[in-house]
Amino acid sequence: MIAELLNTLHSNIVMGMAQAAGAITLCAAVVLLCRRFAVHVERETAISLGRGLVQMVFVGMVLAVLLHGNLLVGVLILLGMTFAAAVTASRRARDIKDSLLLSFYAIAAGSGVVIAAMLATGTLTADIAVLVPVGSMIIANAMNACAQSIERFRADVAAHVGQIEAGLALGADPDATVAPYVQSAVYASLLPRLDMLKSLGLVWIPGVMAGMMVSGASPVYAGIYQFIIVAMILAASGIAGLVVTLLMRMRAFSPASQLTLRPGERQQGPDRLAKRMPSPA
Amino acid sequence: MSAVTVTRSTGSIGDAESSEATWRPSRGLEPQAIAIETEHLSRTIVDRVLVSDITVQVQPGEVLAVVGPSGAGKSSFLRLLNRLDEPTGGTVRLKGQDYRELAPRELRRRVGMVMQMAYLFPGTVAANIAFGPWQCGEGLAAEQIDALLQRVGLPGYQERDVSNLSGGEAQRVSVARTLANVPEALLLDEPTSALDDVSARGIEDLVLTINRERRMTCVIVTHNTAQAHRIADRTMILQAGKLVAIGPTKEVLRDR
Repeated sequence: MIAELLNTLHSNIVMGMAQAAGAITLCAAVVLLCRRFAVHVERETAISLGRGLVQMVFVGMVLAVLLHGNLLVGVLILLGMTFAAAVTASRRARDIKDSLLLSFYAIAAGSGVVIAAMLATGTLTADIAVLVPVGSMIIANAMNACAQSIERFRADVAAHVGQIEAGLALGADPDATVAPYVQSAVYASLLPRLDMLKSLGLVWIPGVMAGMMVSGASPVYAGIYQFIIVAMILAASGIAGLVVTLLMRMRAFSPASQLTLRPGERQQGPDRLAKRMPSPA
Repeated sequence: MSAVTVTRSTGSIGDAESSEATWRPSRGLEPQAIAIETEHLSRTIVDRVLVSDITVQVQPGEVLAVVGPSGAGKSSFLRLLNRLDEPTGGTVRLKGQDYRELAPRELRRRVGMVMQMAYLFPGTVAANIAFGPWQCGEGLAAEQIDALLQRVGLPGYQERDVSNLSGGEAQRVSVARTLANVPEALLLDEPTSALDDVSARGIEDLVLTINRERRMTCVIVTHNTAQAHRIADRTMILQAGKLVAIGPTKEVLRDR
């Protein structure tokens, strides 16, 4: 298997490197153009291009080995990606207790439901070579949605502490006091994907469709399949955004209905929260 | 009695004899003024002491002013009474009952709080006033809202958008919104600090009227000793979170 892989790599590597050199040349020309306008990005661009090339070659080599594995390997890769995505998303919520766990639950829920639905409907085959790339797209978008929801909810709560506490002081259900901010956080996670759907085919032709057409698939089927992928990305993003926002809402109040998610305060001590107050009759 | 007497349970309106508007809770009873006691009440965040070992009793129907320099813990003390923050030591008793035995939402309806800023919710004045009762599953009839607005001196303001109110009007709506819950005690956190003198005196008069009408126990935080002289029966002075003096306002503030 390894010998076969090396042969495949060897046959493509020269052409790939030549094409990469062409791309790098174009980037270098753009950098020189920028330099004429006193925009100095030479060093940063060189580092970014070098890192990007090395990382992608490395990832390609790892995937070349892994994609010949069985389905269990594919599931483990997706789980690893979900964990890495949760680590990235949770960086926006370091001061919230268990933020890594919240992000992991949200991203796993969003991408898990969607991947399971795609497998169940036959949109996705249980083949590691298909499962991992498509799954990674869905996980990456769920991660972005999760991070956007966290950011929006935190910002809105921080900007409206007075109004939230005014509601609490009136005996309001804590959930009701943050309801507008839950709505805006979930909406924030969906908006980029809704725009993506609206512009699909008009502004951009995504990679999956382009790849399918290059490999000889019917353009109409490729288009429909791409729509399905983007729709599934929207669904995964919506679930991830909703789950993380609701989990954050639970963390925003103490058992005594006190707002604990305040700017500059890390959750700790007696205000730390566990359960919610009952809703009004 | 009142010009417009509104029964909260039915929303019915009856004729009244004087020019004052009041309303009754659904129990059919006027809310009874309650005593508030703190026992060694403390709050510390990490290593910062906000409130330290405060034991005071506020009598039913009394107006107690809390004064002290900035950062003395006045607002922190008031927030503990409403349980917006959790004490790290001691407790609060309402009519002798430990307030941790009450559901926080019930406690906050019984002990209303008016904040330094009005913090009205976007929408109309009427929607703001109806918010508290609505949150506990009760409706508030237009007549009841009208009566509350008359009480705070803003008749006809029901459909005004809160974004068009002056600071003084917004604070009056905030008081009406708190009164809509029929609280037994009222906590006021520097309610006039952001207002001009005329509006501030209007709020002071309103608080005094409510206190006299309903013998409502009031605790008011203020940095203004002249205001404490005007409205408080007793005054307590806080410094660095500690109670340094409490007694009749004239005596406590004599040299200040």
